[in-house]
Amino acid sequence: MSPTEIVPLLVVVLLLLTASGVEPDRMDVVFDGDHEQTTIDDALVVGGGTVTIPASATASGELFVVGGRARIDGHLDGNVTVLAGNLTVADGARITGELRTIGGSTSVAPGATVGSRTTLDVTPRRSSPAETAGFLALQVLVVGSLAGVLARRWPDLPATVGDAITHHTVVSGVVGSLAGAASLVLLVYMAFTIVLLPVSIVGLVAGFSLVVYGYLVYGFLLGRLLPIERTDLSAAVGAGLFVVVIEVLGRIPIAGALAQFGLVAVALGAVLITYLGLQRFEPADIPG
Amino acid sequence: MRLVTAIREREWPLVLGAALFVSLLTAGYYYNITFVQLGLIDLGTRLVGMSSSTVSLWMGALALLTFLTAVVVGVTMDRRGWSRDLRTKFRLLTLVVTVQFVLTAVAPAIRTVPAFGAWIVGCSLALGLGFPVSFSLAIDFVPVPDRGYVAAAITALTYFGANALPLAWSIDVFSALLTPAMVPGVLVLAVLSSGRIERVETLVDEWATQHERFGRGRFCDDGPVTVRTLAFWSPVALLFGVFFIDSLGFLRIIETPALVLSSWQSPDFGTRLAIAVVHAVGAGMAGVLYVNFDRNGLFLWIFALFGFTYVLYTSDLRVAAFFPGAASDPSILNPLFYSLTVSFYTTLNFALWPDLSTAETIGTHAAIGVGMAGWLATFLSTAVALSLEHADVGLLTHLNLVNALALLLLVALAVGLYSRRVYALARGDTA
Repeated sequence: MSPTEIVPLLVVVLLLLTASGVEPDRMDVVFDGDHEQTTIDDALVVGGGTVTIPASATASGELFVVGGRARIDGHLDGNVTVLAGNLTVADGARITGELRTIGGSTSVAPGATVGSRTTLDVTPRRSSPAETAGFLALQVLVVGSLAGVLARRWPDLPATVGDAITHHTVVSGVVGSLAGAASLVLLVYMAFTIVLLPVSIVGLVAGFSLVVYGYLVYGFLLGRLLPIERTDLSAAVGAGLFVVVIEVLGRIPIAGALAQFGLVAVALGAVLITYLGLQRFEPADIPG
Repeated sequence: MRLVTAIREREWPLVLGAALFVSLLTAGYYYNITFVQLGLIDLGTRLVGMSSSTVSLWMGALALLTFLTAVVVGVTMDRRGWSRDLRTKFRLLTLVVTVQFVLTAVAPAIRTVPAFGAWIVGCSLALGLGFPVSFSLAIDFVPVPDRGYVAAAITALTYFGANALPLAWSIDVFSALLTPAMVPGVLVLAVLSSGRIERVETLVDEWATQHERFGRGRFCDDGPVTVRTLAFWSPVALLFGVFFIDSLGFLRIIETPALVLSSWQSPDFGTRLAIAVVHAVGAGMAGVLYVNFDRNGLFLWIFALFGFTYVLYTSDLRVAAFFPGAASDPSILNPLFYSLTVSFYTTLNFALWPDLSTAETIGTHAAIGVGMAGWLATFLSTAVALSLEHADVGLLTHLNLVNALALLLLVALAVGLYSRRVYALARGDTA
């Protein structure tokens, strides 16, 4: 497992530790080799290799399996969390705390004793058609309402962004894809530092808001094509239609995803180059 | 785009001229980044048997001599009127490509240090003569509004070819590929400069007057740009910084097998193709940004991307240092962002000098601009890289230094632009 893959899992481990109220003084991480662990200093993370708690040992602490293999033959006084990798709890082994399986594979022998056991099923559940339609209707309603409010109260803003989308599509797409890709990677790396995790979350929310703003502008533009006189109403209906279009595109493999990406990149770029619609974009004036 | 209109209206001389310019510059740049820069390392270390440090010193000497030659050539071109004379430029280019053809063919036979030195001097003279002449062709062949897109096309084609073609970085391979590939170039240039074929002469006559219709460069409208103005030296300084950062970092990256074998020299064609595609896409993006925004915006993007790229590299190294037990497959993301950045500044470099020049100044401006920003920066960064190596500076510290430099230039440029705006507002300029 490479550092790039292991770091997000370590971030999750730290978040789980924080959430559980445990403040470990020491956390050991194992990446490779075979280890027999008779004691645990507060927390042990298995990221690779094999860790065994032998039958004769009684260890106290939190055990996290994020890669590699862990085997418990003896007693563990604490909780075990499996995020990835493999855990085997042998016959006669005992875990006094909770065994949580979030990912990876866990095998508990019939003769083993576990305080409590929970399994988080992260397999996405297929929504029923009614649920899908309901969620889509909710999105249409929310985005449509926002577009209506925007068009009624600040009609110049979507008009300016819309002008960049329609007249400077390529520039908007370039700026949007570049800013989007760079920001996304930057935010992920900021999250890795843990210290900047809140900034990263704020950044993601800001980015998401800009994309939603772009959706509203698409709604505004679509609304202009509709035979509805009231600007706010046409923008609301247009935004609703746009949400449906995005949903339909999402169901078309590859081409649909590419079209979605293109629309989002253009919208994001248009929002950025017009300073959220506050200034009309004018390309550089080149003589000749 | 003027060239699109030209295709639609069947103005074939204009279209052919732009195509010729793209072909010449693409071939020239490909030759430079593969044969001269990468092949030279292999030639010096493997065939001549020198240490990599000694070869780096020779590379520095090549850069310095190329720069000096270019300045002499560029100034001479402007003073003698060669910059405005397309036929003279064709003749000079024919000479350059012929010399380079010979140098390319004989390179694999070099085995001694004196022969290597002579080869370096030959390369420097050819390059020093070649790049002011070839860059100056932009004023003859590329309409001002299209320079960003044409620069993007050259960058995209060059880097796509350099990365997608699965060539070993070996002088024998480069020589075997480039020697026959240069023959058509020599022939075309010989025909163009011969003055003996009537139809070709008609075409050259048409091309020779195009620069008068195209007019001066895009950035010359706010006032004269000369070697005595800040308008010329500020982009020179910025591009010098860009090349310096790139060269200082890349010299260390290519000496680190784990980094180079997982990217530019990866045995996996998919990885190399991904880098090639990102180079091409990055060049296209840079072309669009160059045409639609002020050049300072592009400089800001370049420094930001360099800073960002080195943050990625150094983060990976820090994580690997923190968790030494973890198997560390270097991330493909890092070379992809690196490639994007390199395409950005290469595009800018191809478009900027003609746009800062007139037909009377292009020789000097291209020579000083490309020479200082490209060759002198390479020379100095090589010296710095060598001194860091002698001081046993580790990879992380080295890349961290490059990262700091990129971020410093980013902040300095942003603050400089903002301060200039404040100064203008304070003087009552509301535009």
